[in-house]
Amino acid sequence: MSVIKAENVQKTYNETKVPVHALNGVNLTIEKGEFTAIVGPSGCGKTTLLNILGGLDHPTEGRVEVADTNITDMSDGNLIDFRLQNIGFVFQAYNLIPVLTNKENIEFIMLLQKQDKKTRDDRAMELLNQMGIADKADQRPSELSGGQQQRVAVARALASKPKVILADEPTANLDSKSTATLLDIMAKMNAEENATFVFSTHDQRVIDKAKRIITLEDGVVISDVTR
Amino acid sequence: MIIKIAWKNIWRSRARSFVVIGSIVLGVWALLVATGFMNGFMVSYMADIINHDISNAQVHNPEFKKDFDITFYISNGAKKAAELRNWPEVKATTTRTIINGMIASPKKATGVQIRGIDIENEVKVTQLDSLIKEGTYFTGIKRNPIIIGSKLVEELKVKVRSKVVVTFTNSDGMITSGAFRIVGIVKSSSIKINELYAFVRQEDLAKISGIGNQVHEIGILTKPQVDEATIITKYEGLHKEDKIETWKEIAPELAFMQSMYSQMLYVLMVIIMSALVFGIINTMLMAVLERFRELGMLMAVGMNRIKVYLMILIETVFLGAVAAPLGLLIGWLTISYYSNTGVDLTNYSEGLESFGYSSILYPYLDDNVYVIVTISVFVTAIIGALYPAWKAVRLNPVEALHKL
Ligand SMILES: Nc1ncnc2c1ncn2[C@@H]1O[C@H](COP(=O)(O)OP(=O)(O)OP(=O)(O)O)[C@@H](O)[C@H]1O
Ligand SMILES: [Mg+2]
Repeated sequence: MSVIKAENVQKTYNETKVPVHALNGVNLTIEKGEFTAIVGPSGCGKTTLLNILGGLDHPTEGRVEVADTNITDMSDGNLIDFRLQNIGFVFQAYNLIPVLTNKENIEFIMLLQKQDKKTRDDRAMELLNQMGIADKADQRPSELSGGQQQRVAVARALASKPKVILADEPTANLDSKSTATLLDIMAKMNAEENATFVFSTHDQRVIDKAKRIITLEDGVVISDVTR
Repeated sequence: MIIKIAWKNIWRSRARSFVVIGSIVLGVWALLVATGFMNGFMVSYMADIINHDISNAQVHNPEFKKDFDITFYISNGAKKAAELRNWPEVKATTTRTIINGMIASPKKATGVQIRGIDIENEVKVTQLDSLIKEGTYFTGIKRNPIIIGSKLVEELKVKVRSKVVVTFTNSDGMITSGAFRIVGIVKSSSIKINELYAFVRQEDLAKISGIGNQVHEIGILTKPQVDEATIITKYEGLHKEDKIETWKEIAPELAFMQSMYSQMLYVLMVIIMSALVFGIINTMLMAVLERFRELGMLMAVGMNRIKVYLMILIETVFLGAVAAPLGLLIGWLTISYYSNTGVDLTNYSEGLESFGYSSILYPYLDDNVYVIVTISVFVTAIIGALYPAWKAVRLNPVEALHKL
């Protein structure tokens, strides 16, 4: 069952003096339960592609389907709700809510989805345990290391069991040890909950952990390897 | 949760929030105190003039006010005053014979309004005796006692027991005069009482006026909470030949002042609140811009625009909710304190008294002013939040997430 289907996705940025063709016809399908890395040199269009797949941005041409829904022409307002119900995000800069505790951060999306308190509580504690930071539940994100904050962010993305979790360079701000820990946790959640991960990276050690590697260059897929 | 986040957000930048809270507190306080003092001025000023001079309503001969001619008296005035006294709406009435003339001391002469009063009923209507600052209220001098105001005393350079002569044209058109002895000196915020009036006993005046016991004016004091208009209609139905007016018609400038002062609250409110609006817009805009990336994240992960908008709005309202009670409390304490002790303006009162204000001021606020001010703070907070909140929902998550 495919969770993402992209057909001939093109993206041109016209705000600049010279139009930038960031994506030039990307075709790809992501299946449920995949653990996929999107790689390629800087400027090849990784971020642009993830934004479009995640419904944060509209493609100039082509068609994007997520969870069997065509989101290509969906309005921005509807996209917000669509993202809430279907897509988890992990950002390079963690982007946790500083005024909430780590546990509340994890519960946040379930709360927007109007899940009841017990469900939220149980799920947040389960994830905190799986992330190995159960003792930090009631602390603020600022009291954690970068690696720990990113684990909270992964837990937040996983909490509502979205169809797919998109992560743009999730380890770029982390040292190698934290990177390894985070990747192990992501791989574990991929195995245990069959969570679908698509992440972009430059880091060879991250690439090594991926089961499928899609390589972009100048806005087109030049190789797609599944191991 | 939005409420919780909003509440916590206002404490993120404490200094900034305290500046806004502080300015709201100050604004509310200033508004209350300014209004309280203005009310104090107005209440004491109006009370003096209405209570001690005009009273609630007056009856005259319709021709009388045109030239104060001595012959335009009220027919059966004394009888009508007695009849009014029995009305359920009326607390007291009194009659006056009013003649314009001159008053002279050995040193000086000046214009005066001689008011021949019914000394017992006058007290019931205007408490004239309470204004006596020197001497007595018609006791101690048997023959032709007269009471005049403190300003007039200064002008004539006289004192208690001095002799003065009043001169006027009697009903036959003859110049008449009578000698009186000052029995008391009155002092009031009312310029008329201080400078213009000379009070004598009706019966003393009757001997020289040529119109006997006829009266020109009936002063009416109503019971509390009685609408003067009901008395007017009732009296007009009974005695078409007379003219009855409320204090608002007799002294339209006072009625105007009263309405002007009550509008001053709104004028001040608009001024203070618009200053606050700009402060709030500025602060909330900073709060939004500073959190651009965070707001972008919230929208990226699925917080819809209505919730983002509400969050900013609630944050602002919380600032008002913290500040308003503080400002109200401090304002209330200030007003309560001074309404007991009064503010002594004696140092400045030379100027003030010549405007008719008394020198000790008791600020005073209606309870509904607190309600109006509270509502205005929240309205102001919401107005101040509209633009920053709109800025927040218009952001593009992709761009916002890129910002550092
Ligand atoms: N908002 C934008 N306006 C104009 N051009 C843009 C914009 N965002 C990206 N680009 C351009 O689009 C191309 C692809 O950018 P993108 O950020 O997707 O690359 P990337 O693969 O994520 O690079 P990196 O590895 O450095 O993050 C680049 O040439 C970039 O300059
Ligand atoms: Mg990128």
